[in-house]
This record gives sequence, C-alpha cells and structure tokens, in this order.
Amino acid sequence: MKSLVSRLRQPAPAWLRYFGWNTDHKVIGVQYLVTTFFFFLVGGALAMVVRTELLQPGVDVVNGTQYNRVMTNHGSLMIFLWVIPVLAGFGNYFVPLMIGARDMAFPRMNALSFWLIPPGGLLMIASFFAGAAEAGWTAYVPLSIRTPDGQTLWALGVIVLGTSSILGAVNFLTTIVTMRAPGMTLWRLPLFVWGIIATSLLVLSATPVLTAGLIMVALDRLVGTQFFAVAGGGDPVLWQNLFWFYSHPAVYIMILPGMGIISEVFPVFSRKPIFGYRMIALSSLAIAVLGLTVWAHHMFTSGMDPRLRIPYMVSSMVIAVPTGVKIFSWLATIWNGKLRFTTPMLFAMGFISQFLIGGLTGIFLAAIPVDLHVHDTYFVVAHLHFVLFGGSVSAIYAGLYYWYPKITGRMYDERLGQAHFWMNFIGMSLTYLPMFLAGLQGMPRRVADYDPNFLVPNQLASFGGFLLGISVLPFLYNAFVSLRSGKEAGGNPWRALTLEWQTSSPPPQHNFEQEPVITHGPYDYGEGHLAPHPAGAPAAGE
Amino acid sequence: MEYTKPMHEDAFRAGRALGLDHLKLGVWLFIGSEVMFFGGLIAAFLFYKVNNPTPESALLDVGLVGINTFVLLASSLTVVSALAAVGRGDVASMNLYLIATIVLGVAFLSGQAYEFVSLFRHGLTLSSSVFGSSFFTLTGFHGLHVLVGVAWALSTFFRGMRGNYTRDEHIGVEVFGLYWHFVDIVWIVLFTVIYLI
Amino acid sequence: MKERSILLVIFAALILTAGGYLAATQLHLMPFQASTRAVEVDRLFQLLLGITAVIFLLVEGALVYAALRFRRKPGDDTDAVPVHGNNALEILWTLIPAAIVVFVGIYSVQVLQDIERPQENTLVVEVIGRQFTWEFHYPEDNVTTSELHLPVGRPVLFQITAEDVIHSFWVPEFRAKRDATPGQMAELRITPSQPGRFPIRCAELCGPGHAGMISEVVVEDQAAYDAWLAAAKTGPSDPVEIFTQFGCAACHTLAAAGSNGQVGPPLDGLAATAANRVPGLSAEEYVRQSILEPGAHVVQPFANGLMPADFGQRLTDEQLDALIEFLLAN
Repeated sequence: MKSLVSRLRQPAPAWLRYFGWNTDHKVIGVQYLVTTFFFFLVGGALAMVVRTELLQPGVDVVNGTQYNRVMTNHGSLMIFLWVIPVLAGFGNYFVPLMIGARDMAFPRMNALSFWLIPPGGLLMIASFFAGAAEAGWTAYVPLSIRTPDGQTLWALGVIVLGTSSILGAVNFLTTIVTMRAPGMTLWRLPLFVWGIIATSLLVLSATPVLTAGLIMVALDRLVGTQFFAVAGGGDPVLWQNLFWFYSHPAVYIMILPGMGIISEVFPVFSRKPIFGYRMIALSSLAIAVLGLTVWAHHMFTSGMDPRLRIPYMVSSMVIAVPTGVKIFSWLATIWNGKLRFTTPMLFAMGFISQFLIGGLTGIFLAAIPVDLHVHDTYFVVAHLHFVLFGGSVSAIYAGLYYWYPKITGRMYDERLGQAHFWMNFIGMSLTYLPMFLAGLQGMPRRVADYDPNFLVPNQLASFGGFLLGISVLPFLYNAFVSLRSGKEAGGNPWRALTLEWQTSSPPPQHNFEQEPVITHGPYDYGEGHLAPHPAGAPAAGE
Repeated sequence: MEYTKPMHEDAFRAGRALGLDHLKLGVWLFIGSEVMFFGGLIAAFLFYKVNNPTPESALLDVGLVGINTFVLLASSLTVVSALAAVGRGDVASMNLYLIATIVLGVAFLSGQAYEFVSLFRHGLTLSSSVFGSSFFTLTGFHGLHVLVGVAWALSTFFRGMRGNYTRDEHIGVEVFGLYWHFVDIVWIVLFTVIYLI
Repeated sequence: MKERSILLVIFAALILTAGGYLAATQLHLMPFQASTRAVEVDRLFQLLLGITAVIFLLVEGALVYAALRFRRKPGDDTDAVPVHGNNALEILWTLIPAAIVVFVGIYSVQVLQDIERPQENTLVVEVIGRQFTWEFHYPEDNVTTSELHLPVGRPVLFQITAEDVIHSFWVPEFRAKRDATPGQMAELRITPSQPGRFPIRCAELCGPGHAGMISEVVVEDQAAYDAWLAAAKTGPSDPVEIFTQFGCAACHTLAAAGSNGQVGPPLDGLAATAANRVPGLSAEEYVRQSILEPGAHVVQPFANGLMPADFGQRLTDEQLDALIEFLLAN
C-alpha cells in the first residue's frame, strides 16, 4: 500500500519515462510489451487484408505483387516484431523479479536492446514505400535478390532486430547466472525463467547464423556479390540451410518462454505444485538442443542429399517426446486440483488444446513421404498458426492477464477477459482448422487466387479471421479502462508463491524493500508456505 | 517468504562470490554468438570451396599472410603481458604493452589492406566470383573485428592513463583481452581454412 | 474417486479412443489417388491420422474432464493435496511416445524407399519452371510442350529444374512434389495409375504470378499418348494454343483466349492501343518488338523484367507471325 501512495504522490509526468531512455527493467519491460503489441496490430491488419482477398477466388482487393508484399510483411512483423520481442518483454519485466534481483545485469545494454526494436520495425514498415519485401518471410533466393529495394531494407531490419535479440539473450543469461537472491538455487528457479534460459541459448547459437546469411543477401543486392547468383556458381540451397538453421530454432525461441508462462499459470490456479518440475525444466533444454539439429526438415523437397533426409526426420520426430512430457505434466498438474477458471487459466487450457493440434500435425510434416505432399501447402499454414497463434499467442495472452495486476496494480475486468478468450478460441479454430483440409486437397500456400474447389474452407477461414481481428477489441478496451477503474490488486491477488508476487504491485524501484531469501520451491502449494488469506480482502478473479 | 537481510546498494556484487563477474560472463556469451556468426560465414566459404573449386585461390599469397598471422599472434602475447603487468600493479608497463598491441593490430590491418589491393589488381573482387565474394566477406568481417579491437585497445589505454585500473580492479583489461584473443583465434581458423587447406 | 467411477472413466476413454481411431482411419481427407505412390503415401497418412487422433482425444478428453471434475468449490480457499511428481508415470509417458516415434519413423523410411525405388522402362520427362509457366521436354522423342501427357501405368522420372527463381512442381493427385531450383536437377519418380486430367501447381512462392502458375497433366492410354506425341512434335500452330502453351495466358488477360492473368497489361483491343502507343511504329511492329524485347516499351504501372526475353528463341517464325496476327485481330 505504501508504495502505491508514494506512486500517486510522484510528479505527474511519471508516465513520460516510458517514452524515453530508461534503464529500469520494469520500464523497459512495459516498453517492450506496448511496442510489440502495436506491431501485432499492424501485422493483424495485414492478415485482415489477406483474408479479405481470399474471401473468394479471383484477384479482387490486391493484385499478385501487393498480395505478396502484404503476406510477407504479415509474417515478418508477427515473428520478428511481435512474438519474439514480446516474450523478451515478459523476460525483462519478470526475470529479475522472479530471481530476486534488483535489475538486469546490464541495464544500459537492456535499454539498447529495446531501442533497437523501433528502428528495426520502422525499417520494415518503411520498405512499403520502396517496393516492400515480397519474397515471403523465408526470403528464398534468388527471388529475394530480384525483388525491389524494399527487400534490402527488410534484410537490414531483420539484422537490427536479431542484434537486439542477441544482446537480450546475453543479458538474460548473465542475470540469471550471477544475480539470483540467496537461496535461489537452479532447482528453485520458476519455470518461466527456465524457458528464458533455453530460449537465450538458442538465440545465441542460431540468430548470428541468420545475420550472416542476411548479410550475404544484402551484399548480393547492394554490391553484386555472387553468393546466390546461379550464373556465377552461387547456390540457392545454401541460403535455405542458413535461414532454417535459425528459423526452425526460432519456433522454439517463440514457444519455450510461452510454455514457461503456462507452467506459471497452472499451479497458481490449480492450487497444486507443478507436476514433474525437473522434467519440465530439462525438457526445455532438451527441446533447445534437439531444435538445433532439425532445420533441414524444411528442405525435404529441395535438392538435399537424399541420404541426409532420414536423420533429420528422426530428430524432428524425437522432439515430440520432450514436448509430450510437458503436456502430460501440465495435465497431471491440474488433475485433482482446485481449478479456478480465471482468464489466464482459460488461455492456458486453450494453449494445451490448440498447441496439441500444432504438435500432432508436426508429425505428419516430419514423415517425409507425407511431407512431400503437404509441404508448402495450406496444411503448413494451419500447422504453424496452431503452434504460433494457438501456442505462443495464447501463452502471451495468458501472461498479459496473469501479470496485468502486477504491472499496473489494478485488476482487469474478468468478464471482458473471458469474452476475449472465447472469441479468440472460436476464431482460431474456425480460421485454421479448415486450412488443413484445403492444404491436403491441393491448395498451395502464399497464393492470391485459388481454385473454386477451395472456396468453403477459405470462406470459413476468412470469417474466423475477422472474428480473431475483432477479438482484440475487448482486450484493448479492458487493458485501457482497467488502468483507471480496475479494482486495486494489492501485492499478491492470486496468492501465488513465486517471488514477483511477494512485493507490491507495481514493484518499487529496486523491486524489493529487503533482499529476499528463498527457502522453498516456487510451486510448493499445499505445503503451508502461504499466509492464510487476509480477512476481508477480496479473492481476486471472482 | 522471509525477509531478513537489508537490500544492499551493491547487490550487483553478489555474483562475484560465485567467482563469475557478470561483465566477464556477458563477454563470454557474446563471444559465443560471434563464434556462430563466423561459423555461418566459414560454412558458406567452405561450401563453395568444396562445390566450386576455383583457380583464383592460387592468387593468394600465403607468405605475406603468414607474416601477417605472426603479427597478430604477437599481439596476443602483448595483451597477455599487459594483463600480467596490471596484475602486478605495474600500470605503466600495461600501457606500453597496450600501445604495442595497437601498433601490431594496425600493422595487421595494413597488411590485409595491402593484400586486398593486390588481389583487386589481379581482378579478384567481391563481385568477380563466388570465391571472391566469400573470401572478401569472411576476411573483411574479421578485419572489422580487428578494427573494433584496436578501438577497444585505445579506449583501454586511455583509461589506463587516467589510472582507472589497479592491481585489484582491472576487469576492463581482462574483458578486452578475452575479445582480442577471440579475434586472434578466429584468424587462426581462417588462415587454416582459406590459405592452408 | 471411487473405484467404480475410475472404471467408468477408463471405459469411456477406451470407447472414445477406439472410436476415434476407427473414424480417423476411415476419413477421406486426401484428393483422388492417381498414382501408385499416392496409395502408399495415403496408407501412411491414415495410420498417422489414427495414432494422432487417439492422442488428441486422450489429451483433450483429459483436459475437458479435469475442467468439469476438478472445479474449485465456491468459498474454498485452501490448497489442493500436493503431488510433486511420480517417477514411474513420468518414465512411462516418456517411453510410450518414444516407442511410437520409432515405429512411425521406421514405417516412414520403408514407404520412402518404396516410392523412390527406380523402375524398369522409365519414361524421362524434363520439367523446366519459369515465371509463371511450366515447360516439359521429352528427351526420348525430342518434344517440348507446355502440357504434360503421360501414358497410364508407365513409371516416370521427372528431372526438374528452373530458369529464373525457385518453383516447386506439385501434382496433388500424385502426392508428389519437388522443388525446381535454378542450376540444379532434382529427380522425382511416380507411376500414374489412373487416367484423367489433374492440375499441376507451383508450390514455392515465385513472384506476383505464383497463384496462376498452373498447368495440367493428362494421363491417358498408350494409344492416345502416342497420337498426342506425334501431333506435339510439330509444335502448336493454333494461335490460342500458342498463347496458352508459351505462358502468355498466365500473365495477360485476353477474352479470345479465355485468360485472366493480372501480372502484365491486358491484351483485349490491342490493335487500337498498339497503333498509337509509339509514334513511328505500326501496331504490328510495336507488338512484335514487345514480344521479342519485353523491356522496350514498358506500360505503367506494370513492372519491367518480369516477362521472359527469350521468345525469339522459343517461338518459330511461323508461330510468332500467327500469334501477332491473332493478337491484333482480337
């Protein structure tokens, strides 16, 4: 309460600090979350254009060139400016709080990581005025060498954003290794922190390789190097290797912290310890290590050595094992619990049910004979959206609702949150399920026009897509209005055991009034570590 | 949750107790990502070297570059000596060794510039062939890293002159040394991959 | 939970999964099977569908059951009974998926070896992708066409490449796809098993006309194939066929040829526009130059460099004359 009062007494322009250079990890975290959500809206608007064009066969709203630009930038914005950095935003705000640190290890580099994002995003959006990138987010050469100048801006934008991610990863790992509070042993780290560890290791290993590849593309375009010029002996498949060496691990970069968020939400709203804590933590590392060995499964149809395909198929399928361990452990966590269906809990359960579809269809794509039919079709589009929207974005929403009281000091509106969840869940299923059928039946991806045979699945997908677009409105309204009118949250409205809830909401400048000392695990519910519910205080989420 | 100890203003020092300074760990991690960056460029170079063998590689002058390699190795030695000097508290010697490092670094860059110019004269450029593209990109990015190292050495030198380093407090010199050795090791790999095999 | 309700849950789960497996393996989600390869790929697909349906139903079932069964009682603020893990259970749910993965992996490798095994008496067809058309070359008979004809029952080896950017040769009804990469020759084997006409689609984004890069494969009996081959040796002389086969239709709208491509300028009423476009050039000269040197007169807002510049080599003089006459007449 005290910090809340002192916060209100601060001079008015306190909010101004969110618009400038600031080294407080909590300010940077909010900067990340808000900026990336803006790019999510831009990417979503582009998706609406795509779904409008595909409402019926024929070229009606945008032509082939414009369609490719819209589709390319939809993918690039969602991946490089939304999912990857928004998870870094959560990491920024919560890793120091969860390990009992005062701030990140390198506060100024932290601010730099954030301030690289707006220029990266602007480069990408500015490319629309120079003939935007139109070779897909995969930017396959030689197509991406022949496209207009915007492609160069796109490549530079991705390099800048990759650099931001690398600096962030260095910062996270250093912070987690050197700045834990007394008693915060490795096996007492919250699972979100484990997710950030695994992701940061992947970023450090994979992102620089993409940077190297993008430099080759940019040099081919700008100074006429011959890396990917077939006439000069260049090889287009080299780019595919460099690109997927990063971009397959990128999927795990985008899902592992999300899985961490889910692992935070389930125990709190089941009032039970997480089931198989060590297995969940270790499976994140297993996925990260395996994730570096599977990239060529995106290239079964390109000219790779046929003998090399089998090991890549096997390693891709093996990833199903640690992923399954996580899903079964979450189910065991809620089993026999005392479940409370708050919005974050609903999104976490939605995560399991949607991500499961993404994971299971991944097995079809790993099985080479089937992949040779479904590769580069709408089957893949559906699969990747079940992983990245049903998986990552569900987890991000779960995190936004779960930590909203901590960040703002206010409760969000539960009814609006639940409406948002159901619109999102139904919209998702309606958008992406029909795409599996379209792909199996023969609809390639990235097309502005299609055979009338595919009309029904496309119309369903478009209506689902519009519902998804509208579903953002209750979220935005809720987030804005609850800032002022939400109930005061207090320090620990969910009665959670992890460290970020053991301080006021929002936390004071140095996070904790006293250095915390940790004496038990993060999810030891039912073991008597929690003070009884303070009399008279409202149970949150009712 | 128990709150027993007051929050120290110098809470960042907590890491020192583990024997791992956060600055040193950060530089190690960054070097790890740099290894992967060069890994990507080296992979491209080797890929083309194997798949598109080209007579242009005969233009390379192993003798000249061998001398240059020796210069860079010598600079690693001066960095080791600088660190040893400040470890004894001998800041004046450290500054001398840093100057030697800068001179050697600049000498290496000059040698590389000379090599590039003579290759240009023989018609090997960035855009003349895949060999030219991958050779200049790879060695050029290494050269850029040496340039950054020279700038870092200069700034370390000026800090040394201002008396920022003592026998017990010279983490800045240590992390500069880490980076410099890393750049050297990359060169040894490049020298082997490009000129020897 | 009481013992009876545990049995009930297990029984319901068994019914659900068995029913799900049977339903999934009977679902027809794939298109028509027009090759022997399609039969084998679909068998693997149905097996995967069955296995994943069981896992899907078990997990979603458990999720829904938990949501209904383990709801917190109103006013109950206490924690649940703490359970941190169960080694036997955790080992079990690591090993079972691992075993499934091994089984699926071995079976996939077998199918892969079957569908890619070289056959006797193989017909070789070279496939060349370019923005935004397919060209087929039959080296045995030295015939080049833009329509793919195959005799039913004879194994085919496609040798696939591209001239400009990466394309991907895909016939959904054959369950076969292979990238066409410039500077490389990729191989793809199938044996057509059913007569019919099936679409060929480009599956790799190749530029503005990617969606319209569609051709057709005609699978027919040997006699019909031989007759087509004999006719194809002379190349098309009908201007509409020339317009379609050389790829004009993929990019240009022309009512007389039934095309509605949007990549290049529309060609309806060309005689009138071409006559006045460039002073000193007659309509005939303007159209001829525009076909042979596409960069000579670029019409806004269409992009330069998209139209192939090699029609001078690919069209015979007779075909070129016939095409120009046709364009000016419509």
